[in-house]
Amino acid sequence: MSGLDEISEEERVRIASDFIMAAPPGEFKEVVNDVRILLGDDRLLTRASSVFYDYATEQFTSVKVDGVDCLVTKPGSVDNAKRFVDPTTNKVFTYNFLKNEASEVEDAERDMSVETWREAVQSALKAYLDEVYPAHVSAVYATMNKDNVDLTICLEDHKYNPSNFWNGKWKSKWDVSFPTAGGFGKVTGAMRVQVHYYEDGNVQLLTSKQVDDSIQLSSPVEGAANIVEFIKAAETAYQLAINENYSTMSNTTFKALRRNLPITHALIDWHKLHSFHVGKDIMNR
Amino acid sequence: MNGQQLDCALDLMRRLPPQEIEKNLSDLIDLVPDLCEDLLASVDQPLKIAKDRKSNKDYLLCDYNRDGDSYRSPWSNEYDPPIEDGSIPSDKIRKFEQEANFAFDLYREQYFEGGISSCYFWDQDNGGFAGAILIKKTGDSGNKMFKGSWDSIHVVEIQEKGAGRNAHYKLISTVMLWLHNSRPESGSFDLGGSLSRQAEKDAPVTDMSSHIVNIGQMIEKMENNIRGTLDTIYFGKTATIMNETRSLVDLKGRAKMDQINKQMADALTARQQAQSKATPQ
Repeated sequence: MSGLDEISEEERVRIASDFIMAAPPGEFKEVVNDVRILLGDDRLLTRASSVFYDYATEQFTSVKVDGVDCLVTKPGSVDNAKRFVDPTTNKVFTYNFLKNEASEVEDAERDMSVETWREAVQSALKAYLDEVYPAHVSAVYATMNKDNVDLTICLEDHKYNPSNFWNGKWKSKWDVSFPTAGGFGKVTGAMRVQVHYYEDGNVQLLTSKQVDDSIQLSSPVEGAANIVEFIKAAETAYQLAINENYSTMSNTTFKALRRNLPITHALIDWHKLHSFHVGKDIMNR
Repeated sequence: MNGQQLDCALDLMRRLPPQEIEKNLSDLIDLVPDLCEDLLASVDQPLKIAKDRKSNKDYLLCDYNRDGDSYRSPWSNEYDPPIEDGSIPSDKIRKFEQEANFAFDLYREQYFEGGISSCYFWDQDNGGFAGAILIKKTGDSGNKMFKGSWDSIHVVEIQEKGAGRNAHYKLISTVMLWLHNSRPESGSFDLGGSLSRQAEKDAPVTDMSSHIVNIGQMIEKMENNIRGTLDTIYFGKTATIMNETRSLVDLKGRAKMDQINKQMADALTARQQAQSKATPQ
């Protein structure tokens, strides 16, 4: 508190990066602006700017590419992380992190060795997403690695309402790995929800869940159906569990912290409460 | 530049996850050391507990009982670690502070049935005085997987007027509520943060005891109000927002239901209008 030493430039860059990385969904620009003014040195902000890529890809930020919403993700990162590919529209684009804009849009090359599997999963997934996600944006990536198919599904659905001081986002990443010929596949899922409410305060829900399991896949169409069924079951169970927490914690944990009213069911009589002490004092003399 | 920097710092603290308040505040002070005192005074942190070795009683730590790196106990009125010329209230205010601690201890017991409370009062330059009333309660309501924590920070300013027969009270209250759940079905689950409210009032005063009554009533009303709002925001609003990013009900099925409901409502309205026309006047 007293005699604070000046921290190094490296530390200032680290702090700036940490703050930006922690920006709630929908508030990236506001946090970057705050950090910029607190840093007071744009040179240092430039040094911290690799965090923009980390943040956007971590958040599955969506951007309009030729009018279609596409995701910015690590699996979709190409050309040494300078450009991004969207597997649905098969477009590759450059992304401006601060403006949230796509440019230099071109057609991409397709890896046809995995396309049957990838397309089957994308198609089965869309039907599921339309069922439960009001504003979903997703991407299904696939690579072939020595007779093994590696699929990654990224999906997000957000609702931003800054004029009413709240923002929320659901984000899931599913990795499925299996032999091309079919058989047992490994499934790993990471689901995350963040909600921020900030009218006269700062309240946040931070919740995430990991899933590890295996499923059977024989052919692209049947396998895709199995994958999507698995995802649907896991995501629904998680959302139900979150809602159960709300219900239980509101009825028990919260109530146990502070009562609505004293046990008398009436507000405190402060005159009586205070005179009790004064009386006790006199009695003790 | 400093005014703008303080605004940005406070804006940042309203956006970054409150679950990381301590780390964020520490980093912020490192980044802008000139704002240290302003930040410590304006950013609420979860209350820490210390033990008064003389009386073996717990007390709460905040910026209002801090002087340098030491904290003053409301029981012994001494600083820990001890310091020379630590800031203490005048005799009149110290006596009032002791009364307040006793009164709010009873208040705490009636509403919180446990927990810790501490009151700190100090003289103001304008001839009035001010105080901080703090309460902390933690609990798991018997289920180790569900943890909750409540921090109340009420700061009140008192200005006597009308030859001491009246006083003006200004209250700024912040309640921090932290909920944590470790059931495997919901992975890691953290719902936390704070809400703040302000109030002002004028009330009659006969002696110093009147301030206890007036402040007590004001804080009780304020805390009850904030408790209701916490319930609505935490368990209502944030849950609603979450359920709007993903629906538990088939959206297509719901859209169809909405359409059917609307058709039925329209049909009912049309029939009611037809009936009222047909009724002889």
